[in-house]
Amino acid sequence: MEKKKDIIVCRCEELTEQEVRDTIRRFNLRTANEVKRLTRAGMGLCQGRTCEPLIKRIMAEETNRKVSEMLPLTKRPPTRPINIKFLAEEGEGEVE
Amino acid sequence: MNKIAEVVVIGGGVIGCSIAYYLAKKGVKVIVVEKREGLCLGASGANQGACPVQLFESPVLELVKESVKLYKGLSEAIEYDIEYQNTGSLLCSVDEEQYPDMEKHVQRICRSGVNARLIEGNELRELEPTLGKDVIVGVEEQDSGMVNPFKVNYGLAHAAGKLGAEFLLSAEVSKIEINKDKVTSVVTDRGEIKTNFVVNAAGAWSPAIGAMLGLTIPIRPRRGQIIVTEPVPLNKRWRYIIDADYLTIAFDVEAAEKSQDARMKLGVAGSYVQENTGNWTIGSSRDFVGYNNQVTMPTVKYLAKRVIEFMPRFKDVNCIRTYAGLRPFCYVDGLPILSKVDNAAGFVIATGHAGEGVALAPITGKLISELITENRTSLPIDAFAFSRFKSAKTKSS
Repeated sequence: MEKKKDIIVCRCEELTEQEVRDTIRRFNLRTANEVKRLTRAGMGLCQGRTCEPLIKRIMAEETNRKVSEMLPLTKRPPTRPINIKFLAEEGEGEVE
Repeated sequence: MNKIAEVVVIGGGVIGCSIAYYLAKKGVKVIVVEKREGLCLGASGANQGACPVQLFESPVLELVKESVKLYKGLSEAIEYDIEYQNTGSLLCSVDEEQYPDMEKHVQRICRSGVNARLIEGNELRELEPTLGKDVIVGVEEQDSGMVNPFKVNYGLAHAAGKLGAEFLLSAEVSKIEINKDKVTSVVTDRGEIKTNFVVNAAGAWSPAIGAMLGLTIPIRPRRGQIIVTEPVPLNKRWRYIIDADYLTIAFDVEAAEKSQDARMKLGVAGSYVQENTGNWTIGSSRDFVGYNNQVTMPTVKYLAKRVIEFMPRFKDVNCIRTYAGLRPFCYVDGLPILSKVDNAAGFVIATGHAGEGVALAPITGKLISELITENRTSLPIDAFAFSRFKSAKTKSS
């Protein structure tokens, strides 16, 4: 178990497995979304593509449930990072 | 399964959890009932975590000032870092016609005891090189702060829990029982709770709770949309920047609705907050579309356009996420409702915080706990009384 402390589960936000487990235990969390909100896991550039399955697996272990019972992270648009300038010119023809 | 509590708080957002914390601190047995599977899932989790001091006038200003004071000591009190920071704020304008209004604004807020000063465009850009050449004037103020709203919400709940408060999640209230004009119990789909006090802290959903007692609570859900960017280097001086249009759009619904300008119609006025991580949240917008909390492209477009006017660097910054929240907005006067109710003893309303729920959470918790346990409050709350709505009537039962 000691080895697990430094394993990064969310690369974007540089979050370790131990930090995730500590947060789940401290607040008796039950959903992956709560982990996201309190630790920023899944809030980075990739929006949870890497860490979501890991968070769900940790949550399942911590709460003695199956991974298939875990609710998914809320998906927020856009699906990929998008330039602010592009958003600002939406529907205005040619992009400068 | 039936339970007993001295106070039942309906709603597990920042307001409900703050009330639970301040009550639990006084030794009151509280149960918080939340219909969703977790806390902080409404407007409390869909904002920018800002506690602005320069945007308000009396009577809300007094509450905000006191609330910021409470935030300063909150991390220590609840033994959990809520990431409070005293950042101050800059309200600025890209419209020359607004210059006289900005002079009036700084005079007004200085009179109300806020430490503020007017700064011309060129000096602004020296202090904060990210500001664009169109920014003509700004008002700097040093009392505003920011917090991490999720940590505030869960931190308060956890602290309340350690003091004996209980949380009933995924529990929807179906009925509030009354006997001889007094609250006696709250019925949920997870059992009944006998109680003498019920606090309606259901935010945008508070009218449905009021309706259970025949009360018309004049609150409508007001949608606010926000863009989150990738992390960028921290701003030099101001990490909380507000568009001067905020003063009109946020507080004058009619002016926004009647405007011919597409951006104004969508209620878009810039509110920009940079977190410690370097990510920016880009708000703000306001529209009334019932309980729809989807993000829409026209609003996102004008949020993006507007931020580039203030800080051109955003042209080259990526948006990584967007979200929207439903804020409880009082359509009569835009003020919060912090009040007991005639003809329904034990029923307390704490809602209508609009976009200021996070900013006002600590003071709301403190005042409502005083109202319940001492029947008086350390700050006057007459301006927030439910009795100000003359047409509101109780259904006698």
